[in-house]
Amino acid sequence: MRANKGFYGEYGGQFVPEILMPALDELEEAYRAFAADDSSMQEFHRYLSEYAGRPTPVYHSKNISAACGFELYLKREDLLHTGAHKVNNTIGQALLAKFMGKKRIIAETGAGQHGVATATAAALFGLKCRVYMGSVDIERQMPNVKKMELLGAEVFPVDDGLRTLKDAISAALKDWVTNVIDTHYLLGTVAGPHPFPEMVAFFHAVTGTEARGYFTTKGALPDYVVACVGGGSNAMGIFQGFLDDPGVTLVGVEAGGRSLAPGGNAATLTLGTPGIFQGALSYLLQNDSGQVVDVHSVSAGLDYPGIGPQHGYLKDAGRVRYTSVSDDQALSAFHELVRREGIIPALESSHALAWALDNAGELRGKRVLVNLSGRGDKDLGIIEQQNGVKR
Amino acid sequence: MKGIYLVGCYPDADTFTRSFAAVAEAGFDFLEVGIPFNDPIADGPVIAGAIHESLARGVSPSHVMENIESLSHIPIKKYAMTYANIIHAYGIPEFSKRMTGLLEGVIIPDIPNRMARLFREKGFSLPIVPFATLETRESDMAMLNESESNIIYFVGVRGITGSKSDFTTPELVEKIRMIKDNTDKKVIIGFGIKTGSDARQACALGDGYVVGTEAVMRQKKPEALKAYLRSLI
Ligand SMILES: Cc1ncc(COP(=O)(O)O)c(C=O)c1O
Repeated sequence: MRANKGFYGEYGGQFVPEILMPALDELEEAYRAFAADDSSMQEFHRYLSEYAGRPTPVYHSKNISAACGFELYLKREDLLHTGAHKVNNTIGQALLAKFMGKKRIIAETGAGQHGVATATAAALFGLKCRVYMGSVDIERQMPNVKKMELLGAEVFPVDDGLRTLKDAISAALKDWVTNVIDTHYLLGTVAGPHPFPEMVAFFHAVTGTEARGYFTTKGALPDYVVACVGGGSNAMGIFQGFLDDPGVTLVGVEAGGRSLAPGGNAATLTLGTPGIFQGALSYLLQNDSGQVVDVHSVSAGLDYPGIGPQHGYLKDAGRVRYTSVSDDQALSAFHELVRREGIIPALESSHALAWALDNAGELRGKRVLVNLSGRGDKDLGIIEQQNGVKR
Repeated sequence: MKGIYLVGCYPDADTFTRSFAAVAEAGFDFLEVGIPFNDPIADGPVIAGAIHESLARGVSPSHVMENIESLSHIPIKKYAMTYANIIHAYGIPEFSKRMTGLLEGVIIPDIPNRMARLFREKGFSLPIVPFATLETRESDMAMLNESESNIIYFVGVRGITGSKSDFTTPELVEKIRMIKDNTDKKVIIGFGIKTGSDARQACALGDGYVVGTEAVMRQKKPEALKAYLRSLI
């Protein structure tokens, strides 16, 4: 999906301090040149296949299908190097950073998956790397913090606000404002100012292309494609393969958290209204006077009050259905997949699966593709804690 | 043109009113009133801290707007400084309508010059003060000059509020010269002015300055603020 002068319908734009505008222009120009350059694209795809493990399989999940009465397919992004779809984008942007001659990259991270994928790309391409991470997330995703540090990245704790993803992005933007000359901000989702939403979606398009290829080989497209939505990158990745197929229902699943009251969730498209936040005009969880509302999700990668502008556009256009599932629904879907299929999914991806499992009536007899955006090793601490609460 | 930035209604409406009057009495030409937003991406710890403290006390943008209205009799030019979403949430035309006649313009750190056009198209009729920075290119000047504002806000640092400008670097001096050579508007230097000596250099190189962090730091102590204001003039 290409933006029109930085906008998707009314959403998008570049709402950042003026000092970043030349950097955004430089980035857009470099990205267009990079994407149009055959040898750069070959290098990108070579790293995706030989280093990151693409293509990932689509797995027909027989046990759950038999139990639930619909045909469940999983796009196995959890099998990628570093454990999530995030690595598509970090390899792409790290190559681009080198293409631009930048020596240092910074990133924000919530669950730590984007941080690990960024630190990995930094190690691979010899770039200096700092990752901003809310101190609450540092505590709940410790294995990923340790991995980033092993990989040579500096994990910088952010103690502002709720000390989660939103605060990490603000801190990264402040760093970029200060160090814009030698630093590339390797943003981890389809949010932020143009050209980030378009560019990040571009690097993730491979997921949708592969998934579509699998089904065309089989002779029929899926009836439903379901993805979890935090900032929106894994969802854009897989949806792009099916946007022009009106017969394919696209479902984006947000974090319904512990309640749908303000502060209890991160269901931005379901409950939010248009607002300007961290670089873009899009849907936003905000109060009447425009203050950003606190968010909660059991999953550190989903608790973000903003959302990529493409999703606002796709919602208004009616092309994608956005909905939410609760923490508890996601947790039980997590256990379902572990026990029935022997796959430990990320809590983020468990949200997409939960929606499918809990809508078996509507889905009866249909082919349902769920994007399994990442694996759940990082979440074992949270799972243990949750089991403790239940016991 | 000498200006001071204060966080609106901080630490409370009364103390703010006294600080406001003190700035006018000290002979400053304009005041920038900060309307709080809880994701202030251009602000360092001091101003962000004051904003969060105000919000936690229940201050809303409407309170600050009422405060500005109640101070309209004090003879000093007034600007509002706030973030895009505050105006968007209030209603873009509604905000500018309510503040017309009270404000010379608004300073919106997350509305770069290119996006200001969009606010105007959506019915924002107050002048939006354009920004120049250390990264501004000569080719950007046409867009700055399009603005109805009669001042340009020059951000004198690569960084956020609370950083310090370095007037000894040729880069800063040359950039201000380039901007002045390409505009008829007054060039006001903000972000990074701390001392009387910074202030004098800003007046020599540009057409004035605005001090934020150092003033906000003293908003809880009006006497200290007054002494500080005297040290600038
Ligand atoms: C496995 C996984 N899925 C999904 C997300 C949510 O991000 P997005 O909506 O950008 O895909 C994350 C973020 O950390 C993640 O780690």
